[in-house]
Amino acid sequence: MSRRVVVTGAGVVSAIGKGVEAFWRGCLEGRAVVTTIPENWIQFADFHSRLWSPLPELDLESLGIARTERLHLDPVTMLAIGAGREALENAGFTLQPVEERARAYRVSGIDGTRAGVFLGTGIGGAHSFLHNHVHHLHQRTRALLAAYAGNHASDPDLASLNTVLGMLSHGPRYNPFVVSMLMPNAPSAALGIRFSLTGPNVTSCVACAAGTVAVGHGYRAVRDGDVDLAVTGGSEYLYDEHGHIFHGFDVAGTLVRDYSSPETANRPFDMKRSGFLFSQGGAAVLVLEDMEHARRRGAPIMAEVTGFAETFDAHSMMSLAPGGQQIERVLRTALADADLAPGSIDYINAHGTGTRNNDEVEAGVIERVFGKSVRVNSTKSILGHTIGASGAFEAVVTALTLRDGITHACKNLDEPLLDLNFVRSAGHFDARAAVSQSFAFGGHNAAIVMRRFD
Amino acid sequence: MNDNVQQRVFRVISEVLNRKENEIQLTLSLRDELKMDSLGQMTLFIALEDEFQQSIPPEEAEGLVTVQDVIKFIERKTQEPSLV
Repeated sequence: MSRRVVVTGAGVVSAIGKGVEAFWRGCLEGRAVVTTIPENWIQFADFHSRLWSPLPELDLESLGIARTERLHLDPVTMLAIGAGREALENAGFTLQPVEERARAYRVSGIDGTRAGVFLGTGIGGAHSFLHNHVHHLHQRTRALLAAYAGNHASDPDLASLNTVLGMLSHGPRYNPFVVSMLMPNAPSAALGIRFSLTGPNVTSCVACAAGTVAVGHGYRAVRDGDVDLAVTGGSEYLYDEHGHIFHGFDVAGTLVRDYSSPETANRPFDMKRSGFLFSQGGAAVLVLEDMEHARRRGAPIMAEVTGFAETFDAHSMMSLAPGGQQIERVLRTALADADLAPGSIDYINAHGTGTRNNDEVEAGVIERVFGKSVRVNSTKSILGHTIGASGAFEAVVTALTLRDGITHACKNLDEPLLDLNFVRSAGHFDARAAVSQSFAFGGHNAAIVMRRFD
Repeated sequence: MNDNVQQRVFRVISEVLNRKENEIQLTLSLRDELKMDSLGQMTLFIALEDEFQQSIPPEEAEGLVTVQDVIKFIERKTQEPSLV
Protein backbone atom coordinates (compact mmCIF):
# COMPACT_ATOMS: atom_id res chain seq x y z
CA MET A 1 0.00 0.00 0.00
CA SER A 2 1.35 3.44 -0.88
CA ARG A 3 -0.70 6.46 0.02
CA ARG A 4 -0.23 10.20 -0.45
CA VAL A 5 0.74 11.95 2.78
CA VAL A 6 -0.23 15.52 3.56
CA VAL A 7 0.57 17.99 6.34
CA THR A 8 -2.72 19.11 7.86
CA GLY A 9 -1.57 20.96 10.97
CA ALA A 10 1.44 22.39 12.74
CA GLY A 11 2.18 23.71 16.22
CA VAL A 12 5.19 25.57 17.54
CA VAL A 13 6.65 26.85 20.79
CA SER A 14 9.83 28.81 20.04
CA ALA A 15 12.06 31.65 21.16
CA ILE A 16 10.58 33.91 18.48
CA GLY A 17 6.94 33.13 19.05
CA LYS A 18 4.38 30.67 20.39
CA GLY A 19 1.95 29.47 17.78
CA VAL A 20 2.79 28.58 14.23
CA GLU A 21 1.60 31.81 12.61
CA ALA A 22 3.45 34.04 15.12
CA PHE A 23 6.55 31.89 14.60
CA TRP A 24 6.22 32.21 10.80
CA ARG A 25 5.82 36.00 11.03
CA GLY A 26 8.95 36.05 13.21
CA CYS A 27 10.89 34.06 10.59
CA LEU A 28 9.78 36.33 7.76
CA GLU A 29 10.73 39.40 9.79
CA GLY A 30 14.07 37.80 10.74
CA ARG A 31 13.20 38.46 14.37
CA ALA A 32 15.99 36.60 16.20
CA VAL A 33 16.23 36.61 20.00
CA VAL A 34 19.89 36.72 21.03
CA THR A 35 21.10 37.62 24.52
CA THR A 36 24.03 36.91 26.79
CA ILE A 37 23.89 33.67 28.77
CA PRO A 38 22.59 33.73 32.38
CA GLU A 39 24.99 35.54 34.70
CA ASN A 40 25.14 32.76 37.28
CA TRP A 41 26.50 30.22 34.74
CA ILE A 42 29.72 32.17 34.55
CA GLN A 43 30.60 31.44 38.19
CA PHE A 44 30.82 27.73 37.36
CA ALA A 45 33.01 27.75 34.24
CA ASP A 46 34.90 29.83 31.71
CA PHE A 47 33.06 29.75 28.41
CA HIS A 48 34.30 30.53 24.91
CA SER A 49 30.80 31.53 23.80
CA ARG A 50 28.57 33.91 25.72
CA LEU A 51 25.41 34.03 23.61
CA TRP A 52 22.21 32.05 23.44
CA SER A 53 18.64 32.33 22.26
CA PRO A 54 16.36 32.02 25.30
CA LEU A 55 12.72 30.99 25.28
CA PRO A 56 10.21 33.45 26.72
CA GLU A 57 8.89 32.50 30.14
CA LEU A 58 6.62 29.54 29.56
CA ASP A 59 2.95 30.26 30.12
CA LEU A 60 1.94 26.76 31.13
CA GLU A 61 -1.76 27.48 30.98
CA SER A 62 -1.49 28.46 27.33
CA LEU A 63 0.31 25.17 26.66
CA GLY A 64 -2.59 23.33 28.29
CA ILE A 65 -0.44 22.29 31.27
CA ALA A 66 -1.89 22.35 34.81
CA ARG A 67 0.10 23.86 37.68
CA THR A 68 0.56 20.50 39.35
CA GLU A 69 1.77 18.81 36.14
CA ARG A 70 4.97 20.84 36.02
CA LEU A 71 6.03 18.92 39.12
CA HIS A 72 6.26 15.66 37.19
CA LEU A 73 6.84 16.70 33.56
CA ASP A 74 10.16 17.94 32.20
CA PRO A 75 9.95 21.17 30.17
CA VAL A 76 10.87 19.18 27.03
CA THR A 77 7.62 17.27 27.48
CA MET A 78 5.53 20.34 28.29
CA LEU A 79 6.82 22.02 25.12
CA ALA A 80 5.86 18.95 23.08
CA ILE A 81 2.37 18.87 24.59
CA GLY A 82 1.84 22.56 23.83
CA ALA A 83 2.99 22.22 20.22
CA GLY A 84 1.10 18.94 19.77
CA ARG A 85 -2.14 20.41 21.01
CA GLU A 86 -1.86 23.35 18.63
CA ALA A 87 -0.98 21.08 15.69
CA LEU A 88 -4.06 18.90 16.25
CA GLU A 89 -6.34 21.90 16.66
CA ASN A 90 -4.90 23.57 13.55
CA ALA A 91 -5.54 20.33 11.67
CA GLY A 92 -9.21 20.90 12.42
CA PHE A 93 -9.65 18.31 15.17
CA THR A 94 -11.73 18.82 18.30
CA LEU A 95 -10.19 17.54 21.53
CA GLN A 96 -12.79 15.92 23.75
CA PRO A 97 -11.97 15.40 27.45
CA VAL A 98 -11.78 11.79 28.62
CA GLU A 99 -13.84 11.48 31.77
CA GLU A 100 -11.89 8.69 33.42
CA ARG A 101 -8.39 10.19 32.90
CA ALA A 102 -7.48 13.66 34.15
CA ARG A 103 -6.35 16.02 31.38
CA ALA A 104 -6.58 13.40 28.66
CA TYR A 105 -8.42 13.95 25.37
CA ARG A 106 -9.76 11.97 22.48
CA VAL A 107 -9.20 13.41 19.03
CA SER A 108 -12.58 13.68 17.34
CA GLY A 109 -13.14 11.80 14.12
CA ILE A 110 -10.12 9.50 14.24
CA ASP A 111 -9.54 5.90 15.24
CA GLY A 112 -6.90 6.22 17.99
CA THR A 113 -5.50 2.79 17.13
CA ARG A 114 -4.68 4.13 13.64
CA ALA A 115 -2.81 7.19 14.93
CA GLY A 116 0.84 7.19 15.98
CA VAL A 117 3.41 9.50 17.54
CA PHE A 118 6.87 9.94 16.00
CA LEU A 119 8.90 12.50 17.91
CA GLY A 120 12.55 13.45 17.97
CA THR A 121 14.74 14.78 20.74
CA GLY A 122 18.48 15.07 21.21
CA ILE A 123 18.83 14.91 24.97
CA GLY A 124 15.29 14.38 26.27
CA GLY A 125 14.83 15.37 29.90
CA ALA A 126 18.47 16.23 30.65
CA HIS A 127 17.18 19.27 32.52
CA SER A 128 15.44 17.06 35.07
CA PHE A 129 18.40 14.70 35.29
CA LEU A 130 20.77 17.57 36.10
CA HIS A 131 18.33 19.31 38.43
CA ASN A 132 17.93 16.17 40.52
CA HIS A 133 21.60 15.25 40.23
CA VAL A 134 22.47 18.55 41.87
CA HIS A 135 20.10 17.72 44.73
CA HIS A 136 21.62 14.24 45.07
CA LEU A 137 25.16 15.60 45.04
CA HIS A 138 24.80 18.77 47.08
CA GLN A 139 22.08 18.26 49.64
CA ARG A 140 24.12 16.60 52.40
CA THR A 141 27.33 18.46 51.60
CA ARG A 142 25.52 21.76 51.75
CA ALA A 143 23.75 20.82 55.00
CA LEU A 144 27.09 19.91 56.63
CA LEU A 145 28.68 23.17 55.50
CA ALA A 146 25.61 25.16 56.56
CA ALA A 147 25.82 23.57 60.03
CA TYR A 148 29.52 24.47 60.21
CA ALA A 149 28.75 28.03 59.16
CA GLY A 150 26.02 28.20 61.80
CA ASN A 151 28.46 27.09 64.51
CA HIS A 152 31.02 29.68 63.44
CA ALA A 153 28.74 32.62 62.88
CA SER A 154 31.17 35.07 64.44
CA ASP A 155 34.09 33.97 62.24
CA PRO A 156 35.05 36.96 60.01
CA ASP A 157 36.27 34.59 57.25
CA LEU A 158 32.87 33.08 56.57
CA ALA A 159 32.29 35.08 53.37
CA SER A 160 33.94 32.43 51.16
CA LEU A 161 31.96 29.68 52.80
CA ASN A 162 28.74 31.58 52.22
CA THR A 163 29.69 31.94 48.55
CA VAL A 164 30.22 28.19 48.38
CA LEU A 165 26.87 27.60 50.07
CA GLY A 166 25.25 29.74 47.40
CA MET A 167 26.95 27.74 44.65
CA LEU A 168 25.75 24.50 46.23
CA SER A 169 22.11 25.57 46.11
CA HIS A 170 19.72 22.85 44.97
CA GLY A 171 16.02 22.24 44.46
CA PRO A 172 13.69 21.37 47.32
CA ARG A 173 13.37 17.65 46.62
CA TYR A 174 14.71 14.63 44.78
CA ASN A 175 11.70 14.20 42.55
CA PRO A 176 10.06 10.75 42.76
CA PHE A 177 9.10 11.12 39.09
CA VAL A 178 12.64 11.83 37.90
CA VAL A 179 13.00 8.68 35.79
CA SER A 180 9.84 9.36 33.82
CA MET A 181 10.90 13.00 33.46
CA LEU A 182 14.40 12.40 32.12
CA MET A 183 13.74 9.45 29.78
CA PRO A 184 14.05 10.60 26.15
CA ASN A 185 10.77 8.91 25.19
CA ALA A 186 8.78 11.01 27.68
CA PRO A 187 7.62 13.65 25.14
CA SER A 188 6.36 11.00 22.70
CA ALA A 189 4.71 9.03 25.48
CA ALA A 190 3.09 12.17 26.91
CA LEU A 191 1.55 13.04 23.53
CA GLY A 192 0.14 9.52 23.19
CA ILE A 193 -1.30 9.65 26.71
CA ARG A 194 -2.63 13.18 26.36
CA PHE A 195 -4.43 12.60 23.09
CA SER A 196 -5.29 8.88 23.42
CA LEU A 197 -3.20 7.85 20.41
CA THR A 198 -2.58 4.12 20.72
CA GLY A 199 -0.77 3.34 17.44
CA PRO A 200 3.04 3.16 17.27
CA ASN A 201 4.78 5.57 19.63
CA VAL A 202 8.41 6.08 18.68
CA THR A 203 11.19 8.41 19.81
CA SER A 204 14.03 9.23 17.44
CA CYS A 205 17.08 10.08 19.51
CA VAL A 206 19.56 11.02 16.80
CA ALA A 207 20.88 14.38 17.96
CA CYS A 208 20.46 17.21 15.45
CA ALA A 209 18.76 14.96 12.88
CA ALA A 210 16.11 13.73 15.34
CA GLY A 211 13.31 16.02 14.14
CA THR A 212 13.82 15.22 10.46
CA VAL A 213 14.12 11.48 11.13
CA ALA A 214 10.92 11.57 13.21
CA VAL A 215 8.99 13.37 10.49
CA GLY A 216 10.37 10.93 7.93
CA HIS A 217 9.33 7.89 9.94
CA GLY A 218 5.88 9.38 10.49
CA TYR A 219 5.62 9.95 6.72
CA ARG A 220 6.55 6.33 6.01
CA ALA A 221 4.05 5.00 8.55
CA VAL A 222 1.21 6.92 6.89
CA ARG A 223 2.40 6.20 3.35
CA ASP A 224 2.66 2.47 4.02
CA GLY A 225 -0.76 2.27 5.65
CA ASP A 226 0.47 1.48 9.18
CA VAL A 227 -1.44 4.50 10.48
CA ASP A 228 -3.85 7.09 9.07
CA LEU A 229 -2.40 9.91 11.09
CA ALA A 230 1.04 10.67 12.54
CA VAL A 231 1.72 13.31 15.16
CA THR A 232 5.36 14.01 14.48
CA GLY A 233 8.13 16.53 15.04
CA GLY A 234 10.66 17.31 17.73
CA SER A 235 11.16 18.84 21.14
CA GLU A 236 14.24 20.02 23.00
CA TYR A 237 15.01 21.86 26.23
CA LEU A 238 18.65 22.78 26.77
CA TYR A 239 18.56 24.91 29.92
CA ASP A 240 19.88 23.85 33.30
CA GLU A 241 20.64 25.94 36.36
CA HIS A 242 24.42 25.71 36.04
CA GLY A 243 24.97 25.86 32.27
CA HIS A 244 26.13 22.21 32.09
CA ILE A 245 24.54 21.57 28.71
CA PHE A 246 25.82 24.83 27.25
CA HIS A 247 29.27 23.95 28.62
CA GLY A 248 29.24 20.62 26.76
CA PHE A 249 28.63 22.23 23.39
CA ASP A 250 30.95 25.13 24.22
CA VAL A 251 33.94 23.01 25.20
CA ALA A 252 33.47 21.00 21.99
CA GLY A 253 34.10 24.23 20.10
CA THR A 254 30.76 24.20 18.30
CA LEU A 255 29.24 27.47 19.56
CA VAL A 256 29.46 30.94 18.10
CA ARG A 257 32.79 32.44 19.17
CA ASP A 258 32.64 35.97 17.89
CA TYR A 259 30.09 37.53 20.21
CA SER A 260 31.19 41.17 20.00
CA SER A 261 27.99 41.96 18.12
CA PRO A 262 25.20 39.67 19.40
CA GLU A 263 22.76 40.67 16.65
CA THR A 264 25.06 39.52 13.85
CA ALA A 265 27.06 36.78 15.59
CA ASN A 266 24.92 33.94 14.21
CA ARG A 267 25.72 33.79 10.48
CA PRO A 268 25.30 30.44 8.71
CA PHE A 269 26.98 30.13 5.31
CA ASP A 270 28.86 33.42 5.81
CA MET A 271 32.64 33.63 5.51
CA LYS A 272 32.77 35.11 9.01
CA ARG A 273 30.70 32.37 10.69
CA SER A 274 32.17 31.12 13.97
CA GLY A 275 29.84 28.40 15.27
CA PHE A 276 26.16 27.88 16.00
CA LEU A 277 23.90 29.90 18.27
CA PHE A 278 22.84 27.78 21.26
CA SER A 279 19.07 27.82 21.68
CA GLN A 280 17.24 27.17 24.93
CA GLY A 281 15.02 24.87 22.88
CA GLY A 282 11.46 24.62 21.71
CA ALA A 283 9.09 22.24 20.03
CA ALA A 284 7.56 21.89 16.60
CA VAL A 285 4.89 19.33 15.77
CA LEU A 286 3.29 18.45 12.42
CA VAL A 287 0.19 16.38 11.81
CA LEU A 288 0.78 14.09 8.83
CA GLU A 289 -2.26 12.40 7.40
CA ASP A 290 -3.38 10.08 4.65
CA MET A 291 -4.60 12.43 1.91
CA GLU A 292 -7.93 10.64 1.47
CA HIS A 293 -8.50 10.67 5.24
CA ALA A 294 -7.78 14.41 5.28
CA ARG A 295 -10.04 15.10 2.31
CA ARG A 296 -12.95 13.15 3.77
CA ARG A 297 -12.99 15.38 6.81
CA GLY A 298 -12.34 18.59 4.88
CA ALA A 299 -9.00 19.25 6.58
CA PRO A 300 -6.78 22.21 5.68
CA ILE A 301 -3.71 20.99 3.76
CA MET A 302 -0.41 22.85 4.09
CA ALA A 303 1.81 20.71 1.85
CA GLU A 304 2.47 17.15 0.74
CA VAL A 305 5.37 15.00 1.95
CA THR A 306 6.65 12.94 -0.95
CA GLY A 307 10.03 11.53 0.03
CA PHE A 308 12.41 10.66 2.82
CA ALA A 309 15.81 9.03 3.26
CA GLU A 310 18.46 8.56 5.92
CA THR A 311 22.11 7.57 5.73
CA PHE A 312 25.01 7.28 8.14
CA ASP A 313 28.55 8.64 7.77
CA ALA A 314 30.40 5.88 9.69
CA HIS A 315 33.19 8.41 10.10
CA SER A 316 33.24 10.43 13.34
CA MET A 317 31.09 11.05 16.41
CA MET A 318 31.37 14.82 16.13
CA SER A 319 32.40 15.76 12.64
CA LEU A 320 30.85 15.45 9.19
CA ALA A 321 32.79 13.22 6.82
CA PRO A 322 34.87 15.37 4.46
CA GLY A 323 33.29 15.57 1.03
CA GLY A 324 29.81 14.76 2.32
CA GLN A 325 29.45 11.53 0.37
CA GLN A 326 26.66 10.20 2.61
CA ILE A 327 24.92 13.57 2.60
CA GLU A 328 24.89 13.47 -1.19
CA ARG A 329 23.52 9.93 -1.03
CA VAL A 330 20.77 10.88 1.43
CA LEU A 331 19.64 13.66 -0.89
CA ARG A 332 19.67 11.52 -4.03
CA THR A 333 17.84 8.70 -2.22
CA ALA A 334 15.17 11.06 -0.85
CA LEU A 335 14.68 12.49 -4.35
CA ALA A 336 14.33 8.97 -5.76
CA ASP A 337 11.77 8.21 -3.05
CA ALA A 338 9.85 11.29 -4.18
CA ASP A 339 10.35 10.32 -7.84
CA LEU A 340 11.87 13.73 -8.55
CA ALA A 341 15.01 14.83 -10.40
CA PRO A 342 17.31 17.29 -8.60
CA GLY A 343 16.31 20.01 -11.07
CA SER A 344 12.69 19.80 -9.84
CA ILE A 345 13.68 21.08 -6.42
CA ASP A 346 13.50 24.86 -6.15
CA TYR A 347 13.95 25.41 -2.40
CA ILE A 348 16.25 23.88 0.21
CA ASN A 349 15.88 24.47 3.91
CA ALA A 350 19.49 23.68 4.78
CA HIS A 351 20.92 22.27 8.00
CA GLY A 352 22.99 25.49 7.98
CA THR A 353 24.34 25.54 11.53
CA GLY A 354 27.00 28.22 11.15
CA THR A 355 29.91 25.95 12.07
CA ARG A 356 32.94 26.11 9.77
CA ASN A 357 32.78 22.45 8.80
CA ASN A 358 29.03 21.92 8.39
CA ASP A 359 28.41 24.87 6.13
CA GLU A 360 31.40 24.17 3.93
CA VAL A 361 30.52 20.50 3.40
CA GLU A 362 26.79 21.20 3.03
CA ALA A 363 27.21 24.04 0.53
CA GLY A 364 29.51 21.86 -1.58
CA VAL A 365 26.99 19.01 -1.66
CA ILE A 366 24.11 21.36 -2.53
CA GLU A 367 26.10 22.70 -5.49
CA ARG A 368 27.01 19.18 -6.66
CA VAL A 369 23.48 17.80 -6.43
CA PHE A 370 21.27 20.76 -7.25
CA GLY A 371 23.51 23.33 -8.94
CA LYS A 372 23.52 27.04 -8.24
CA SER A 373 19.96 28.04 -8.98
CA VAL A 374 18.07 26.34 -6.13
CA ARG A 375 17.11 28.77 -3.36
CA VAL A 376 18.73 28.04 0.00
CA ASN A 377 18.18 29.37 3.50
CA SER A 378 18.89 28.34 7.07
CA THR A 379 16.16 28.66 9.70
CA LYS A 380 18.93 28.34 12.30
CA SER A 381 20.15 31.77 11.16
CA ILE A 382 17.07 33.08 13.01
CA LEU A 383 16.26 30.50 15.69
CA GLY A 384 19.73 29.30 16.57
CA HIS A 385 20.17 25.55 16.99
CA THR A 386 17.42 23.67 18.80
CA ILE A 387 19.24 20.33 18.29
CA GLY A 388 16.63 17.53 18.23
CA ALA A 389 13.79 19.93 17.47
CA SER A 390 15.60 21.75 14.66
CA GLY A 391 14.59 19.39 11.85
CA ALA A 392 10.96 19.65 12.95
CA PHE A 393 11.07 23.46 12.97
CA GLU A 394 12.61 23.34 9.52
CA ALA A 395 9.95 20.92 8.26
CA VAL A 396 7.31 23.37 9.49
CA VAL A 397 9.09 26.24 7.72
CA THR A 398 9.35 24.18 4.52
CA ALA A 399 5.61 23.40 4.62
CA LEU A 400 4.77 27.07 5.26
CA THR A 401 7.05 28.19 2.44
CA LEU A 402 5.19 25.88 0.05
CA ARG A 403 1.79 26.87 1.43
CA ASP A 404 2.33 30.63 1.25
CA GLY A 405 4.84 31.01 -1.57
CA ILE A 406 7.17 33.08 0.64
CA THR A 407 10.70 32.40 1.91
CA HIS A 408 12.49 33.84 4.91
CA ALA A 409 15.98 35.28 4.57
CA CYS A 410 19.21 33.60 5.53
CA LYS A 411 19.92 36.14 8.27
CA ASN A 412 23.30 37.83 8.66
CA LEU A 413 24.60 36.44 5.38
CA ASP A 414 26.88 39.19 4.05
CA GLU A 415 29.63 37.27 2.30
CA PRO A 416 28.53 33.76 1.26
CA LEU A 417 31.13 31.03 1.43
CA LEU A 418 29.98 29.78 -1.98
CA ASP A 419 28.11 31.35 -4.86
CA LEU A 420 24.76 29.63 -4.24
CA ASN A 421 21.30 31.18 -4.56
CA PHE A 422 20.91 32.02 -0.88
CA VAL A 423 17.73 33.85 0.12
CA ARG A 424 19.04 37.31 1.00
CA SER A 425 15.73 38.91 1.88
CA ALA A 426 12.29 37.56 2.71
CA GLY A 427 9.78 37.69 -0.08
CA HIS A 428 7.52 35.97 -2.58
CA PHE A 429 8.83 32.80 -4.12
CA ASP A 430 6.57 30.34 -5.88
CA ALA A 431 8.24 27.16 -4.64
CA ARG A 432 6.75 23.91 -5.92
CA ALA A 433 9.08 21.28 -4.44
CA ALA A 434 11.48 21.52 -1.52
CA VAL A 435 13.97 19.60 0.60
CA SER A 436 14.65 19.94 4.32
CA GLN A 437 17.84 18.27 5.50
CA SER A 438 19.60 17.58 8.81
CA PHE A 439 22.92 16.10 9.86
CA ALA A 440 23.90 15.08 13.37
CA PHE A 441 26.61 14.22 15.87
CA GLY A 442 27.15 10.52 15.50
CA GLY A 443 26.97 10.74 11.70
CA HIS A 444 23.22 10.60 11.02
CA ASN A 445 21.95 12.28 7.85
CA ALA A 446 18.28 12.68 6.92
CA ALA A 447 16.27 14.53 4.29
CA ILE A 448 12.59 14.94 3.58
CA VAL A 449 11.02 16.11 0.34
CA MET A 450 7.81 18.12 0.24
CA ARG A 451 5.80 19.67 -2.54
CA ARG A 452 3.10 22.27 -2.83
CA PHE A 453 -0.34 20.75 -2.55
CA ASP A 454 -2.54 21.71 -5.49
CA MET B 1 -8.99 22.52 61.67
CA ASN B 2 -7.30 25.48 60.08
CA ASP B 3 -9.70 26.77 57.37
CA ASN B 4 -6.89 28.17 55.28
CA VAL B 5 -5.00 24.87 55.22
CA GLN B 6 -8.22 23.00 54.44
CA GLN B 7 -9.03 25.30 51.56
CA ARG B 8 -5.55 24.97 50.07
CA VAL B 9 -5.50 21.18 50.43
CA PHE B 10 -8.90 20.97 48.75
CA ARG B 11 -7.62 23.12 45.90
CA VAL B 12 -4.49 21.01 45.41
CA ILE B 13 -6.48 17.75 45.45
CA SER B 14 -8.94 19.14 42.93
CA GLU B 15 -6.08 20.27 40.69
CA VAL B 16 -4.32 16.91 40.85
CA LEU B 17 -7.54 15.03 40.12
CA ASN B 18 -8.84 17.65 37.66
CA ARG B 19 -12.15 17.69 39.58
CA LYS B 20 -14.27 20.47 41.01
CA GLU B 21 -13.41 21.57 44.55
CA ASN B 22 -16.95 20.95 45.76
CA GLU B 23 -16.51 17.27 44.91
CA ILE B 24 -13.81 16.95 47.58
CA GLN B 25 -15.05 16.11 51.08
CA LEU B 26 -13.26 15.61 54.37
CA THR B 27 -14.38 12.03 54.87
CA LEU B 28 -13.49 10.75 51.41
CA SER B 29 -10.65 8.24 51.24
CA LEU B 30 -7.83 8.97 48.81
CA ARG B 31 -7.56 5.47 47.44
CA ASP B 32 -11.04 4.00 47.42
CA GLU B 33 -13.30 6.99 46.90
CA LEU B 34 -11.08 9.51 45.12
CA LYS B 35 -9.47 6.65 43.14
CA MET B 36 -5.92 7.87 43.74
CA ASP B 37 -3.46 5.04 43.12
CA SER B 38 0.08 5.13 44.51
CA LEU B 39 1.32 7.34 41.65
CA GLY B 40 -1.64 9.66 42.14
CA GLN B 41 -0.82 9.97 45.81
CA MET B 42 2.83 10.62 44.99
CA THR B 43 1.70 13.44 42.71
CA LEU B 44 -0.53 14.79 45.46
CA PHE B 45 2.25 14.89 48.03
CA ILE B 46 4.78 16.65 45.82
CA ALA B 47 2.03 19.13 44.91
CA LEU B 48 1.40 19.67 48.63
CA GLU B 49 5.16 20.08 49.19
CA ASP B 50 5.10 22.76 46.53
CA GLU B 51 2.00 24.46 47.90
CA PHE B 52 3.13 24.55 51.53
CA GLN B 53 6.91 24.63 50.94
CA GLN B 54 7.36 21.75 53.36
CA SER B 55 9.32 18.55 52.85
CA ILE B 56 7.02 15.51 52.88
CA PRO B 57 9.09 12.28 52.84
CA PRO B 58 6.98 9.39 51.45
CA GLU B 59 7.35 7.36 54.67
CA GLU B 60 5.73 10.17 56.66
CA ALA B 61 2.72 10.27 54.35
CA GLU B 62 2.11 6.53 54.62
CA GLY B 63 -1.05 5.67 56.51
CA LEU B 64 -2.97 8.80 55.56
CA VAL B 65 -6.33 7.49 54.46
CA THR B 66 -8.81 10.36 54.18
CA VAL B 67 -8.72 13.97 53.06
CA GLN B 68 -9.10 14.93 56.72
CA ASP B 69 -5.99 12.89 57.60
CA VAL B 70 -4.05 14.83 54.96
CA ILE B 71 -5.20 18.19 56.33
CA LYS B 72 -4.24 17.30 59.90
CA PHE B 73 -0.88 16.05 58.67
CA ILE B 74 -0.23 19.28 56.75
CA GLU B 75 -1.25 21.38 59.76
CA ARG B 76 1.38 19.53 61.79
CA LYS B 77 4.00 19.89 59.05
CA THR B 78 3.48 23.62 58.71
CA GLN B 79 4.75 24.00 62.26
CA GLU B 80 8.16 22.75 61.03
CA PRO B 81 10.78 24.92 59.30
CA SER B 82 9.92 25.69 55.67
CA LEU B 83 11.86 24.43 52.62
CA VAL B 84 12.69 28.02 51.64
